[in-house]
Amino acid sequence: MKLLLIEDEKALATSIQTYFQRENFICEWAADYRTAVEKINIYRYDCVLVDLMLPDGDGLNAVRELKRSYPETGIIIISAKNSLDDRVTGLNLGSDDYLTKPFHLSELNARVQAVIRRRNFQGSQQIRFGKIQIDPQEHLVQVEQQEIVLTRKEYDLLVYLIANKNRVLTKESIAEHLWGDDADLMDNFDFIYTHIKNLRKKLMDKGCPDYLKSIYGVGYKFSEQ
Amino acid sequence: MKLLERIFRYQLRASLGVLALGAVLFYVSVNHLVDQEVNRDLVRSQAKVSWQLRHLGVLPVYILQLGDSLQIEPVEYAGRIRAVERNMLNKSTNEYQPWRQLIFYEQVEGQMYQVTISKLLSQRQELMKAVVMTVTFIVALLLISLLVMNSRLSRRLWKPFYKTLHALDSYALEKHEVLTFPKQQIIEFQQLNQSVTQFTDRLAATYQNLKEFTENASHEIQTPLAVILSKIEGLFQDESLKESQLVALSEISEAANRLAKLNQALLLLTKIENRQFLAGTEPINLVPVINRKLRDLEDLIEQREITVKTEIEPTGPVMHPALAEVLVNNLLTNAIRYNVACGTIDITLAPGRLVVRNTGTPINIDPELLFERFRKEGTHSASLGLGLALAKTICQVNGQTLTYKTDGPWHTLTVDW
Repeated sequence: MKLLLIEDEKALATSIQTYFQRENFICEWAADYRTAVEKINIYRYDCVLVDLMLPDGDGLNAVRELKRSYPETGIIIISAKNSLDDRVTGLNLGSDDYLTKPFHLSELNARVQAVIRRRNFQGSQQIRFGKIQIDPQEHLVQVEQQEIVLTRKEYDLLVYLIANKNRVLTKESIAEHLWGDDADLMDNFDFIYTHIKNLRKKLMDKGCPDYLKSIYGVGYKFSEQ
Repeated sequence: MKLLERIFRYQLRASLGVLALGAVLFYVSVNHLVDQEVNRDLVRSQAKVSWQLRHLGVLPVYILQLGDSLQIEPVEYAGRIRAVERNMLNKSTNEYQPWRQLIFYEQVEGQMYQVTISKLLSQRQELMKAVVMTVTFIVALLLISLLVMNSRLSRRLWKPFYKTLHALDSYALEKHEVLTFPKQQIIEFQQLNQSVTQFTDRLAATYQNLKEFTENASHEIQTPLAVILSKIEGLFQDESLKESQLVALSEISEAANRLAKLNQALLLLTKIENRQFLAGTEPINLVPVINRKLRDLEDLIEQREITVKTEIEPTGPVMHPALAEVLVNNLLTNAIRYNVACGTIDITLAPGRLVVRNTGTPINIDPELLFERFRKEGTHSASLGLGLALAKTICQVNGQTLTYKTDGPWHTLTVDW
């Protein structure tokens, strides 16, 4: 998978690059509008991450350019602006998602994977992890051909954990993924624990090994080891 | 009161005063002239009567016709000659009429007589009538001409003023408008228009600066925060970290997350206060907004075993849909956050009013104080203390009122529009 990151903040760009490299993605970086347009015109990308405020131009123009030349490329806007107008303009221009800074890298990762999966029309859209198989269109979860019935939150949680497999996920990032802006309603994170416990139980009941490791004081890690 | 009305009142008062004074002066002077004439008449009659009495002893018939009546009575002593005025009954018309009398004394053949010559002052009544009528007529004429003139003035002369006023009335800062007007001949209006133009020009510039500042502040603060958070997340993946270091990192992460949320909430608040959200154009149906929010929050509600009762009908105020969303969100999350376990939330939506009522712990302070920024009752560390301030601001910019009442365990937030 090949990504292009259009972002003028170097420190943030390196973090994002490192994160996606661990995922075995090729993540190229353009620090300004000019470089971005050059790269867009030369190479093909599966997904492009665009910051709207660039030193030499408006990221929205890059979105327009991309949409015209390569409509099949996935686009995610990452912006410090969360003014509704920009959000609506961005999505109207055909960007697939809009993420407001600051965001969790794990959240960005989950969204990038979702966008690529949705745009991968020819290939399989199935999510596989160990014994788990998920059909995202049907919201169907199976372990060794046996269906598991999950609640909406449990399903979201499972997809999120798989998207960020082998990584430490903080409780805040999970809470924010599941409840968005309402995450701060949780006075403690016992709440996530309830969902984690239920999900783990349902998976293990169908014969899954315990993929979910809890990391003291931090959060959780979903991995096969 | 309209300025013209006010001016008209003063004009009215002044002209009535002047006219009244004029009428009095007119009356006094004419009266004086008439009086003099009557007095002269009486004195002339006196001379004639005295001469007749002294020389003839018998009064001829014509003498009796001097004045309007003549009375002669014998008296013991002579008094002083005097002129009096008195009202006397006219028997034929049965009404009192003013008379002027000249009383003098005359000795005829050793006998003292008191002679009274009376004269009816009918002219004075006539005069009074004439004065009242003239003055009334002048007043009426004056008032009519003033009214006509004022209405013409207000229509023609004041037209530019009303134009300016109307332009100011419909002035919307969010549109970054600068009001300009055609040149006026009247200096005052020209000055007013110039001032308004300069004022709105400055206002638009300042507003633009403020808006840019807010946007830039957002960008400038969010980006370093994004860097901090991304670096923390990168560090979490480092397997060589010790548990104690991970815990510390986790605390840093929590604080940075909180800072990011706080920044976002403050920015939203500033944006609403700066009215960067345009007003809505049509009424919003709040029912789907409420239902969606309740569905989002359902597991929180279940976990706390809160009972939600809704009594909602499809209605809502005119406002920006995004703001309606934020308002409903803040009211509902507030009702959940400060609820007690196994508590209740009542949501009532009726035309012109949305009421969210929840059980909670009784508070000792004035509930209206909870609308202040960063004001929290109790120790809900997860709360930013901006939720109700945000709700209040949204209501203010949309012309709604938000009130907070407590009654024992019941907390009631009401939005009226």
